[in-house]
Amino acid sequence: MDEFQAEDEVSIFKSSVEATIGGNTYQHNRVNQWTTNVVEQCLSQLSKLGKPFKYIVTCVIMQKNGAGLQTANACFWDNTTDGSCAVRWENKSMYCIVTVFGLAI
Amino acid sequence: MSDLLKDRALKKEKKMGKDGRPKDSISTVSNVEDPLHHDDTRLPTENTYQLGPYKRHSVPVITEILKDVLTCYLQHETYEAEWSRQMTKTLCDVIRARVKELMIPRYKTVVIVNIGQLSGQGMQISSRCLWDATNDTFATYSFKNSSLFGLAIVYVVYFE
Repeated sequence: MDEFQAEDEVSIFKSSVEATIGGNTYQHNRVNQWTTNVVEQCLSQLSKLGKPFKYIVTCVIMQKNGAGLQTANACFWDNTTDGSCAVRWENKSMYCIVTVFGLAI
Repeated sequence: MSDLLKDRALKKEKKMGKDGRPKDSISTVSNVEDPLHHDDTRLPTENTYQLGPYKRHSVPVITEILKDVLTCYLQHETYEAEWSRQMTKTLCDVIRARVKELMIPRYKTVVIVNIGQLSGQGMQISSRCLWDATNDTFATYSFKNSSLFGLAIVYVVYFE
């Protein structure tokens, strides 16, 4: 039985965020497109790994202006096979948090 | 007469063995398993031949749970970082427990809770899933008051 490997996801995530957002500053009309791109790229790369997993990818992009944000998750699943991975990324004008859940079929 | 008696006694002794047990049926114990110490107590389960869920999660029911929990916990609160850190975890646990109480078998649950301060910032949350759309689903609810917002997402994923 396969186990969820977080290392693959971290590198996939970082490359997809760099590719879509990179050095851009926060632009309200483009954020929708950015988040969509990030989750789509992550998901397409994950599906290419060809593992028997169902994946859930969420992406949060928030403008930096001193406001706080907390995020937490709780899961009810099989600890031996399923796993999650969260990565935080930031540049000068925004935060980006991507969370990936892998659930074995 | 006494000869006959003696002969009979000898025959009996031969038949029964010296300590009075029948000689030709001796049982020995080669191995006894202690009934209290089974190493593998899990019996192999039988095949269910069940290909889909008998009972699915319904989105309105979960949304109602989220609405209830978020409103109840966040209604009269103002944003504070440390409180919010604790509260996201508490809300996650509460929501997961409430979803588990629905007692729908063969489903895995993922709960995500975000609490953030409202101070005029822009924000976007999006998610996408690779799953079986017929059996798996999600529910979401967002709550807002004057100083904070709370967003909860629940994914319920069927597994065979």
